[in-house]
Amino acid sequence: MMMTRLLARALLAAAAAGPAMAQSAAAQSTADRLAALDQRITRLEDLNQIERLQRTYGYFVDKGQWTQLSELFTDDATLEIGGKGLFLGKKRVLEYMQTAFGPDGAKEGVLANHMQFQSIPDIAAGGTRGWVRARAYVMSNGGWGLPLYENEYRKEGGVWKISRLSGPFTMYTNWDGWGKNALNNTWPDKFEPAPDLPPSTVYLTYPAYYIVPFHYPNPVTGKPFLADKAEAGAYAAPPGTKAQQAALKVGRLADGTQPIAEPPKD
Amino acid sequence: MSVRATMKGGLLLALAAVVALPAAAQDGDLRAQVVAAKHRVQLLEDQDAIENLQGMFGYYFDKGLWDQAAAMFTAKGSFEYGQRGVYIGPARIRQSMLLFGPQGLAQGYLNNHMMLQPVIVVAPDGRTATGRWQGMVQLAQPGANGIWGVGVYENDYVKEGGVWKIASLHFYVTGFTDYDKGWMKAAYPMAGQSALFPPDRPPSEVYRAYPSAYIPPFSFRHPVTGQSLRDIRQPADDVVGRP
Repeated sequence: MMMTRLLARALLAAAAAGPAMAQSAAAQSTADRLAALDQRITRLEDLNQIERLQRTYGYFVDKGQWTQLSELFTDDATLEIGGKGLFLGKKRVLEYMQTAFGPDGAKEGVLANHMQFQSIPDIAAGGTRGWVRARAYVMSNGGWGLPLYENEYRKEGGVWKISRLSGPFTMYTNWDGWGKNALNNTWPDKFEPAPDLPPSTVYLTYPAYYIVPFHYPNPVTGKPFLADKAEAGAYAAPPGTKAQQAALKVGRLADGTQPIAEPPKD
Repeated sequence: MSVRATMKGGLLLALAAVVALPAAAQDGDLRAQVVAAKHRVQLLEDQDAIENLQGMFGYYFDKGLWDQAAAMFTAKGSFEYGQRGVYIGPARIRQSMLLFGPQGLAQGYLNNHMMLQPVIVVAPDGRTATGRWQGMVQLAQPGANGIWGVGVYENDYVKEGGVWKIASLHFYVTGFTDYDKGWMKAAYPMAGQSALFPPDRPPSEVYRAYPSAYIPPFSFRHPVTGQSLRDIRQPADDVVGRP
């Protein structure tokens, strides 16, 4: 609505100025306006394209298409899922998927749907970087899961690719559901392969919670929201409460880190 | 979505103003640029229209509004759900939908078909389009336990007289399970072809749902490599006879 009003005002101004202008100046101004329009159209196309990339990533995960999936990434991309730690580069993305989840292909008796929705795409002013906040709802034969993505994308040679995939978990549970069961699914040594770098953030899943930093400000106030960044960023109680402050200090080691769970013994 | 629709409205207004300038009319190069820009905006609007079209179909289908849902197809449009076979034309499509429950759904029925994750590709000429959607299904019938379902839609759309319609809706059901038991304990086979309202054609592809694995073929190309995704290898299935 506001956009339309602004445009209307600009058009009125242009209409008033138009006839008085020398022809070459008018043509110049038209060319400028076309260039500005081109930028806006390109931005809309780019927003669509990074959403499409994220959705395609989801379809590939569902069916174990790891090679196709790795091709969505830039050569220097980073990938961090859950608390598994950071994997550096497209090749390591492929190695991670194929080692952790088996060779390419859908497998009999396995359901691992990562349904993608609620995406908030943004494109940087230069038009070569973008971000998407989105979530996946996992329905698998093992149960239910909720990854939340804050991903970065880069346009290389006119083609958008994923340059950073970051998917901390909100909740994991078996088929009994989160009323009866909560699975802390966030330790790096849970399965092979080992990451290149330790997790960038230590956090807890449901019944505790973690606020994944937002790549955008509040769209109405225009102000960024920053969660308590100085601490681990894991909450056993709502932020700002005494219970949360106390929880942040529980079990903290001398180096300031906070072990999050005992890995399984088996 | 609505923000982007508003922005596109604004873009068209601005384009109209550019066209109206006398200087632009004399400059063939600028005119060509305007035509190209208009085409790109048109394709963006088409993508939005198709996303809405499919979402609207879903809302009708959920509530057993078969009249409304069937009216969204072209005269030769086709509807195919799992292994039920292919129904052609709005009248037969409407009839086939009665197999999901009465018009308007009776008490105790739940027929939710959530549609997420669209990848819509509009052809460069703006006349046809394809769409892949993630399907999540919640079913209930009186006296029976609830059912979860999953699957993938691969649909074709066509623009007739300026209006986007469904040319082909193909829901590849990939699994149904009991609400309480879950996938480890329950896997229901898909319904076959109806004896009551037989389809116009048998299923276009024979496959089994979970626990078998099946990859509904992709309509779109890999967004980075540009390679076709149609020849992705299907998992073997001894029962169907797929190597």
